[in-house]
Amino acid sequence: MSSESGAGHVRLFFREAIARALAEEMERDQRLLVLGQDVGSFGGAYKEFAGLHDRFGPERMRDTPVAEAAMVGLGVGAAAMGHRTLVGITYMDFMTLGLDPLVNYAAKARFKTAGRITVPLVVKTTAGAKGQGVAHSQCLESWLMGVPGLKVVAPSDPASAYGLLKSALREDGPVVFIDHKRLFPKSGEVPSTECFAPIGKAQLLREGSDVTIVTHGYMVHVAMEAARELEKAGVDAEVIDLRSLAPLDMDTVAASVGKTGVLATLEEGQVTCGVGSEVAFRVMERLGPVPAVRVGPLPAPVSSNPVLEAECLPDAGRLVDAVRRILSQAKPKGTA
Amino acid sequence: MIYKLLVPGPIEDVEQVRVLEWHGGEGQAFAEGELVVELETHKALVEVRAGQAGILRSVISQEGDWVDIGSPLALLSDSADEQLPDGLDELAEMALSFEVS
Amino acid sequence: MLIRAFETRLMARPDHGFQLYSSGEEAVAVGVASAMRTGDRLLSGGRSIGAALACGLDSGQVMAELLGRIAGPNRGRAGRGHLSQPESGFFGAHAVVAGNLTIAAGAALACQRAGEGGVVFAIFGDGACGAGALHETLNVASLWKLPLVLVCSNNGLSISTPVSSGVAADPLSSLAGPFGIAHATVDGMDVEAVAAAASGFAADARSGGGPALLECRAERFTSHSSSTRETRPAEQVTAIRERCPIAHLSAELLRGAVLDETALAALEAETEAEIDRAIAFAEASPMPPAEEALHDVV
Repeated sequence: MSSESGAGHVRLFFREAIARALAEEMERDQRLLVLGQDVGSFGGAYKEFAGLHDRFGPERMRDTPVAEAAMVGLGVGAAAMGHRTLVGITYMDFMTLGLDPLVNYAAKARFKTAGRITVPLVVKTTAGAKGQGVAHSQCLESWLMGVPGLKVVAPSDPASAYGLLKSALREDGPVVFIDHKRLFPKSGEVPSTECFAPIGKAQLLREGSDVTIVTHGYMVHVAMEAARELEKAGVDAEVIDLRSLAPLDMDTVAASVGKTGVLATLEEGQVTCGVGSEVAFRVMERLGPVPAVRVGPLPAPVSSNPVLEAECLPDAGRLVDAVRRILSQAKPKGTA
Repeated sequence: MIYKLLVPGPIEDVEQVRVLEWHGGEGQAFAEGELVVELETHKALVEVRAGQAGILRSVISQEGDWVDIGSPLALLSDSADEQLPDGLDELAEMALSFEVS
Repeated sequence: MLIRAFETRLMARPDHGFQLYSSGEEAVAVGVASAMRTGDRLLSGGRSIGAALACGLDSGQVMAELLGRIAGPNRGRAGRGHLSQPESGFFGAHAVVAGNLTIAAGAALACQRAGEGGVVFAIFGDGACGAGALHETLNVASLWKLPLVLVCSNNGLSISTPVSSGVAADPLSSLAGPFGIAHATVDGMDVEAVAAAASGFAADARSGGGPALLECRAERFTSHSSSTRETRPAEQVTAIRERCPIAHLSAELLRGAVLDETALAALEAETEAEIDRAIAFAEASPMPPAEEALHDVV
């Protein structure tokens, strides 16, 4: 199906990277179950489970009622009994319905049982705005970052989706895997042989000397576009893809900000108590005061109306403006 | 006359496609409306049908290749013995119809 | 009898902490536990002491857990609300009302997939019957024929709210009807009635017959918790306590000559002695070192 391209790599659609990671892990662990709405013969809302139903059968690729509390609870209970489970929640907005078993049970099980029960569970969900309105667009990852016992990862391309999902499916405890609607049209190079993206490790995507842009998920692509724009204006931006939101790789982020001296964060979720707030504060706890700016959406619901959606969401232009503004304040004699 | 068959578009939400299957090899004659090639997007199949009669002369994008919207898939001609040119720029576009499913 | 003595002695201690007592509802836990086999699992809500002891957990370890000592099965971290010892069949308490139901369904799914005949029991209160989680659980358990026996210990009150104000269905077991799930309501003060019903449903579940909902009409002898004020008039509580499930069973056993007065007195003395040992065991165990606040988090 897919051509070999480059030494030891194969180009895959984003969805294929997810399906490949799952197929490999389902082959390896015969207990591994997938639960969710339309994960069976339909193959997932984005075809990210395509082929798995035929290969592993309806018992393991199991369609559930549209009842997120039950979906997550079933996954938590099965995982707590030693049957590793991936629960697919179509859109992240609906995770609000399944938070009780995830937050109150799964995240705390290992601690509260003194290690007698662990919950090897992955909740995979799709965040982000793409024309579907106020309750099908949200990026709520920062809500989950402060829950002790939960790990949270967010891929930005097929390779990180493959590697992070592989790692998540080997964890002892619960992991929330958050992809994004706008990542699914993308394709990218994925190593041909099995590999893992470590949870807790960010990736430096672009080296630069003037400002550090920290972001994750689909916004990585927006940040890279902004970095190209900034380059034309003589600003050399470093871009970090966090990949792992809990735990955060503050070593990588702080090393970069230590070098550039200026921090800009970009996220599609709300900036109040957001990923950027947490990153910025932790940077300053390590390095002392640093000029910093958070870029995110407007403090408003995301409409399905294309004009209102576009106005609400952060884009490269807004990030460029914010970076130039902070640089002009921070380095008035600088290149910005 | 020689024609170039291009990846049709625009297709909503699609950046790249992958060539899934050619429905005939070089030398195959296609009547108007016949299925020439199937393409794969991230979530759908695209059936590309001949919008005019033509003979498949040269497959440029093989099965499994990744191509952008508007990039060349193949060369076709009215008759089997026409000399293929070196460049594609001057060539007329093959008429086609396509369906996304 | 052990549960009652355990709780009575715990209540008398100044350091009892925040507890939800099972006194009055012992027959539910004991009856359900009697239907369990090796490989079965029991989950409870936060009113867990009865369930844990009925599963056969060591009373000294349970006392240690409730008093926050490291000799507890969960090193004193879980307390009554989250006590667990899965290897003994007590998969655990979970102190979110209705929060254990979907988890129990997931555990039942694991049992079903393992194919070893394991059944999962979940005890919850009447307060959980108004929660969506119960209805979602009934639905999926029926669709997938999960080996799950749901047991509602209906003590009539959610803290202060009478069940008639909290749940529209009456009897509560009728909630299972629309889902095509076997259901029954029994006297939760009669351990033999609970045991018979639980065993029957468990046998069905074990043989692939799917889930059941068993409502046990019980009485709470104390207020909701050790720190909640009693809302019932004193004479009502006194009258409720007249319906003691232990006294009921003792009288039955005496009448049937299964036990005589001497044997009953010996049993009571043994029970008190066991609680003495449990308290001594717990008191001999230290509180956890403070750094355990960060252990086993991720």
